[in-house]
Amino acid sequence: MAETAAEQEEVLTDLEIVTGAKEPKPKIGDVKAPELTGSIKVPKIQPGAAAGYKPYPAAPEYMEGMDFPTTLVDNWEKEAVNKLGELLKKYKSLQDYMDICVRCGSCTDKCQFFLGSKDPKNMPVARADLLRKVYKKYFTTEGKLLGKIAGAERFDLELLGEWFSYFHQCSQCRRCSVFCPYGIDTAEISMAAREIMDHIGVGQKYVNSIIIKLHEIGNNLGMNPKALKATLESTEEDIEEEDGVPVKLPVDQVGADILMVTPSADFFASPHVESLIGYAKVFHQAGISWTFSSTASEAGNFGMFIGNYSHMQRAASRIRKAIEEIRPKRLIVGECGHAWRIAYSFWNTLIGPLDQSLGLDPKYPRPQHICEFTLDLVKRGAIKLDKSANDEFVPTFHDSCNVARGSRMGDSPGGQFDIPRELIKASCNRYVDMEQETIMEKTFCCGGGGGLLTDEILDVRLQGAMPRMQAYQNIKDSHGANFFALICAICKAQFTKVFPKYGMPMIEVGGVHQLVGRAIELGAKE
Amino acid sequence: MSFDFEGKTYETDDDGYLINLDEWNEGVAGYIAEQEGVEMTEAHWEVVNFLRNYYQEYNIAPAIKILIKEMKKMFGPEKGNSAYLYDLYPAGPALQACKIAGLPKPTGCV
Amino acid sequence: MSGLTIFFVIYAYVAILFFIAGFLYRIWKYASTPAPLKIPQTPAPVAAPGVARRMVAEVTLFKSLFNGNKIIWLFGYVFHLGLLVALLKHYRFAFDYSPSWLVYLTTFELYAGLIMLGGLMMLFLLRLVVDRTNFITVMTDYILLVLLIGIAGTGLLLKHFYRTDVTSVKEFVLGLVSFNPQEMPADAFFIIHITLVFLLLIYFPFSKLMHSGGIFFSPTRNQVDNARDKRLVTPWAAAPESIQIASNMTQEEG
Repeated sequence: MAETAAEQEEVLTDLEIVTGAKEPKPKIGDVKAPELTGSIKVPKIQPGAAAGYKPYPAAPEYMEGMDFPTTLVDNWEKEAVNKLGELLKKYKSLQDYMDICVRCGSCTDKCQFFLGSKDPKNMPVARADLLRKVYKKYFTTEGKLLGKIAGAERFDLELLGEWFSYFHQCSQCRRCSVFCPYGIDTAEISMAAREIMDHIGVGQKYVNSIIIKLHEIGNNLGMNPKALKATLESTEEDIEEEDGVPVKLPVDQVGADILMVTPSADFFASPHVESLIGYAKVFHQAGISWTFSSTASEAGNFGMFIGNYSHMQRAASRIRKAIEEIRPKRLIVGECGHAWRIAYSFWNTLIGPLDQSLGLDPKYPRPQHICEFTLDLVKRGAIKLDKSANDEFVPTFHDSCNVARGSRMGDSPGGQFDIPRELIKASCNRYVDMEQETIMEKTFCCGGGGGLLTDEILDVRLQGAMPRMQAYQNIKDSHGANFFALICAICKAQFTKVFPKYGMPMIEVGGVHQLVGRAIELGAKE
Repeated sequence: MSFDFEGKTYETDDDGYLINLDEWNEGVAGYIAEQEGVEMTEAHWEVVNFLRNYYQEYNIAPAIKILIKEMKKMFGPEKGNSAYLYDLYPAGPALQACKIAGLPKPTGCV
Repeated sequence: MSGLTIFFVIYAYVAILFFIAGFLYRIWKYASTPAPLKIPQTPAPVAAPGVARRMVAEVTLFKSLFNGNKIIWLFGYVFHLGLLVALLKHYRFAFDYSPSWLVYLTTFELYAGLIMLGGLMMLFLLRLVVDRTNFITVMTDYILLVLLIGIAGTGLLLKHFYRTDVTSVKEFVLGLVSFNPQEMPADAFFIIHITLVFLLLIYFPFSKLMHSGGIFFSPTRNQVDNARDKRLVTPWAAAPESIQIASNMTQEEG
């Protein structure tokens, strides 16, 4: 009668082994942040320290909805190699970066996930080598002849398991690339690895389920047009109650001068919504007609995170469709880091040309960042800001990785650093910067970008946030900073989650346009 | 994933959120609350009921601001704020209140 | 002609052929693979001259490496600098005439050779003692360093310590260059030196040494930051005529 333990033991499928699907996940309440030690130290390596952190695999329905295989395909090794071969022909970056790394070591202490986890496979070169091993084995003479001596390895289940762990501990923030003598960009490599995994049936639930919501409903949140309109109306009421001014948040206004595309979190979450109110007040006071689109109610585009060109293009084409319907003269993007990279760097390619053929006015940048737009109004005197409204704050600005290293604002290089700072300084009497080694192009990622903003890997997120939290703690201690200003929806969500874990008040996390919205003088212009 | 409660099996997602909203009842809500370490009071139920009603109309949980505004109506201005919301549901409205109300977990950049 | 000479003449031509053909093939591969998206690592130059300046700073000063790690930069830089001087001074073996600046440069060749050797040895040491660098090192990284150390070491020995007959070396090399092979000097250090050099040339296109050419094709560094002004379109990534927008998005809902 009695079943033996062996009989009771569940037989795990290969997919479950790779993704750790049956491993218990930590309880969110129990997850602890690494201790802050006073400075960002380079740790001694601890091999395997982060090997167990894996996101949920995408359930079959989330794979099917993306046109990926629903489970690990039988001949996955061959399929993966074929896909890699295809990507090598499609992406110069991948082909070049597979070949030219000399493993000099410059990047080894630059990744926030290594600094936080101490796991050497979170060093950018070691992460990239997880893919490079496979490249060498199947695509290079060196690897075929010399094998392990040249760092070539067969793509087996164990290595695939490492891919699932460590390519989901990269936020594609490109910090490593800044310090690489050849500009090797681990983001490109981790995108390729995720694309390969999806194509053999190993997907990540958080990202894939959100892309499906975006395709089906129109935004990452899954907020349908009816809910969107109700939410915006409620926000209008809030503003009027607070300020006594009927500031509008229009939707689907055909012929409006400006089409505003913002991350859907701005409609829904706090503190994101405070920036949404800020944008609305800016448009109101500038007296320019503007609108959201209920079919393009998302600036974010997670297609980039999984390196899938067609999903990224399909998601972006909602914006093009909205431009064709609304016929705006200008296109403005709200506070969202990866969205701004895609808008600034990719939209013209994906859904362009963004020019007169679509009715857009060539006088203005297409697209334009909301910070570019607002600062221009401030400089021209078209809106007035009362800095004293923010006297309780000593803000500091966290450069979001995708904005800092993957885009620009304004006409000259580095505008993406200066313009948000100038805007904060125009809204507040005080401003301080964190340590130079942690800001601008050397900024640390929040720890939640690139599709990592999901609770089952909260450990990874907390470890990744460590360098930034250390720098913020230091500026708090030395200069009394008490407002952590952001221009990214993922950063906002990530930091509201990790601040309390680091013993800091969640309320200090906010948006740049939250400060603008508080300082702006509403009412008649002189 | 799933859990058993009073002889019935409830399918959940990876984080323990009910898959089938129609299976929800106050009993199972109480059970989830217990697992979460939340003791349900009248105020807790009011939040849960509002979430469910909102979801039934809009197919999504309400924005936090909307929830707080509603709490202002329900409990008066001194309790219509996010501090009180976090008093009720320490892990946050998305993580706990939605879970107990049988709503799916809000995801996105939130 | 001696058997030794015949062997080395064939070896030399095979190695040089491998090197040139392999190098060009790899470069062709980098050059011909499309870059579908604008991915310059910003802040990036907004026009082509700026990109050229950025590249020059990387290639001549190893600027990013300098920002990343001063120790690796120092040893890497002196090694490459020593290598450059060493390569330049070899010019006179292959041609009858040497420009005067090159002759001047050779007055430093001993120091150049020594810093090259020292840099290589320190790079080897770093791989052994720094835990992070040790973790990422694979066997071929050591092998390449040993190969280079061997080349630099024998080069120094045969030039400055156990002087080889320079005239007969020059005759041999000139013979190779003019496809008119001459007897090679049967000098032990010289034989080891060129054996290693040609081995390196053969291995070069298959190895990470392709960073020497590949650096120029790195999109994060060679792209102009002008995505808003100039549309980048590559054939495979061109926008399709129409993309399906999900159908259950209806205005009636609202």
